[in-house]
Amino acid sequence: MAVSPSGPHVSSIAILSPTTTNGLGKSTITESFDKRKKSVLSPQPTQPADREITEQLNDNVKQKYIKEKKLGEGTYAVVFLGHLRTDPSSFVAIKKIKVNAEYKDGLSMDAIREVKYLQELSHPNIIALHDVFSSKDQNLNLVLEYLPRGDLEMLIRDTHIHYGAADVKSWMGMLARGVWFCHENFVLHRDIKPNNLLIAADGEVKLADFGLARSFADPYLNMTHQVITRWYRPPELLFGARQYSGAVDVWSMGMVFAELLLRVPFVAGNSDLDQISKICEAFGTPTEENWPGVTRLPNYIPADATHIALLQGREFFLRQFPTAGPVGADLLMSMCTLDPQKRNTAFGVLKHGWWSTEPKPTQKQDLPRKSGGTKKMGHDLTRRGGELEETPFKNATRQLDFNTARDY
Amino acid sequence: MPPARDVIAHRGDDDEVCPVCKSSRYLNPDMRFLINPECYHKMCESCVDRIFSSGPANCPVAGCHKTLRKNRFRKQTFEDINVEREVDIRRRVMHILNRREEEFDSKRAYDDFLEQREEIIANLVHGTDVAKTESDLQKYASENMRSIRANQAIEAQEASSFREQQTQEQELARLRREAVRQEYENERREIMAGREDVLSRLAAGRPADAAAIAREGQKVLLKKSSARRSEEERIRQKQAALRNSDVKKSGPGAVSSSDKADDLGGSSLIKGLKKIKTPEPEKPYDPFMGYVPEKRDYYTLRDYYPNTYLDPVRQDTRMQAGGYDLQEYYSRTLMEAFAGLGCFIDEEISQRDIANASDISGPVATKGAAMAAVSSAGTPDASS
Repeated sequence: MAVSPSGPHVSSIAILSPTTTNGLGKSTITESFDKRKKSVLSPQPTQPADREITEQLNDNVKQKYIKEKKLGEGTYAVVFLGHLRTDPSSFVAIKKIKVNAEYKDGLSMDAIREVKYLQELSHPNIIALHDVFSSKDQNLNLVLEYLPRGDLEMLIRDTHIHYGAADVKSWMGMLARGVWFCHENFVLHRDIKPNNLLIAADGEVKLADFGLARSFADPYLNMTHQVITRWYRPPELLFGARQYSGAVDVWSMGMVFAELLLRVPFVAGNSDLDQISKICEAFGTPTEENWPGVTRLPNYIPADATHIALLQGREFFLRQFPTAGPVGADLLMSMCTLDPQKRNTAFGVLKHGWWSTEPKPTQKQDLPRKSGGTKKMGHDLTRRGGELEETPFKNATRQLDFNTARDY
Repeated sequence: MPPARDVIAHRGDDDEVCPVCKSSRYLNPDMRFLINPECYHKMCESCVDRIFSSGPANCPVAGCHKTLRKNRFRKQTFEDINVEREVDIRRRVMHILNRREEEFDSKRAYDDFLEQREEIIANLVHGTDVAKTESDLQKYASENMRSIRANQAIEAQEASSFREQQTQEQELARLRREAVRQEYENERREIMAGREDVLSRLAAGRPADAAAIAREGQKVLLKKSSARRSEEERIRQKQAALRNSDVKKSGPGAVSSSDKADDLGGSSLIKGLKKIKTPEPEKPYDPFMGYVPEKRDYYTLRDYYPNTYLDPVRQDTRMQAGGYDLQEYYSRTLMEAFAGLGCFIDEEISQRDIANASDISGPVATKGAAMAAVSSAGTPDASS
């Protein structure tokens, strides 16, 4: 608690303290007060009373939780396991955002975005933000829901885990609900991918990492196109569109759907250009006919006239994703439409007939599970938004860099 | 009729005379007495025939006005008519209150149930609170028809499997006895045969070889018997293994109690029954999981709002190609414009205060400090 230097406060402390009957007592108080004054980092102590109350409130929040052990550490954040002081069995994940070199004078954008949108959204399929407090050195701590069972990527990659169409439907349902709820509240997530889909103890999939989220933009306002992890990035962002809509999240959702079915990323380019060509190969080349105005997009690259692939029809999806069934293939196709205007919306996805066809979605408690999720959650939450991790090429370049550094 | 019963029947003088027609066994040696569980009054077979052949009639015993039917008359099992009656009552009550131990939450609850059942039986036997007990029993029986029937089926099944097991065991014991007998017989026969063999060889051979032949014969016998023993041992082990597997197979007859899921709410008579979870009929999958999509209380969303600021968006191919959705903008701005309506902060705060009544210590302390500060500013500085 910081004490402000204004007169009434000094006297108030003197009154409240029972040891102020002699001069000695008073001097100790002023001494400690001076020390505190130095430790306060606030540059402008103009609103002393306010400051005291906010710090008091912050301390109250901070005192509610006990940090236990570190779950993971990344460049961007450290995640701790914690619990309520009053109830040792109620676990939370405390994400401590590191003071960033880029944003020395304030908070990093990711942290602001995460707090701004997570505190607004309360839905079973979106990670809950319980509290926010700052600890010493003005570190921001987010108290998040504890999701001990890892993420969807872990399940997709684990070859020992078998899952079927009913499980995929259940997961997709939870994902689509989360995304729909974001869009219903005018929030774009902009980083949907399997390892941002964490799994709660009861099997519920929760959308996490709102570090790239933003609210829907006003018209004529430019948004960045450098969002969403590349493999899940829709073509309009790859072409550099600056005004876009919830359709970008729907594309990512479609990619997750395809990945759940195939158990490998569906279109995994190792550069943005490669990603475009892979998308063209898979779904067809975007042209003015199937996507009006695409050629006017800033980063549009005219396709090689010899390599124009026709837009994929229904048969392609049926053949490529037999597990989803014909209705599921239709849904996937509607999510992977190149033209964002024609692409399905999150609401439309939930309205689709696939949910009512056989097989019924698996009950969330019966979904396949895997242990060791705690560590994975720690890892997931420390990541920076929009990063690709397991790209073999990325590691290769890193190695090359080391070599060059050694040579010169 | 078993002879023991005859002895009993002949013992007392009362048994010799029919209380209804006063004819005695002396006159009619074949006389048999019957009772009716309605009133347990005893009368002879010929009286039953005479009085009840033409349909139900009143009991002929003076003072007893029960209506009896012929088909309910039966022979007496116990000499003491009270015992007979108690056994009947017990059988009937146990038939209705046939809850099983596994249906109860705890051993204690089951014991309580047993005690309660005894109490009901005692009430009926000794005639205390009969009307109420009977009505309770009837109510319970009608409410728990299904579980009663299910438990009866289980009991019948258990009884029959028990009988089966008994006969099986008896059969096995018989087979074992047979085998042992056979074994003994074989051994004896072989010894005899060996001996005869030795004798015949002794008779045929030379006297000098006698000792050798005798020794050899002995050895052969020993070898044979040891071979037989090991063979028998092997068979026995095999049989034991077989028996074990049999026992395992016919082990605890898994009785599913899922089909007994009924009542519970109404069975106030018996406490401490396990709550049987009836699997709810699965609801159709709701993709929205209860969230109401497009819930707009104060406005409707139109497809198009003419506006000079927004209209160019429709013409801007670049924005259109990027997927910018004016509809989303309409919906957001309208929502933001109307968002405050329907929020009653007073109510929310009072609700929150009620909920947080316990843990507002933090802010209160702060408030207290602030108040102290204000008050101290007004008063002369005490510490200086």
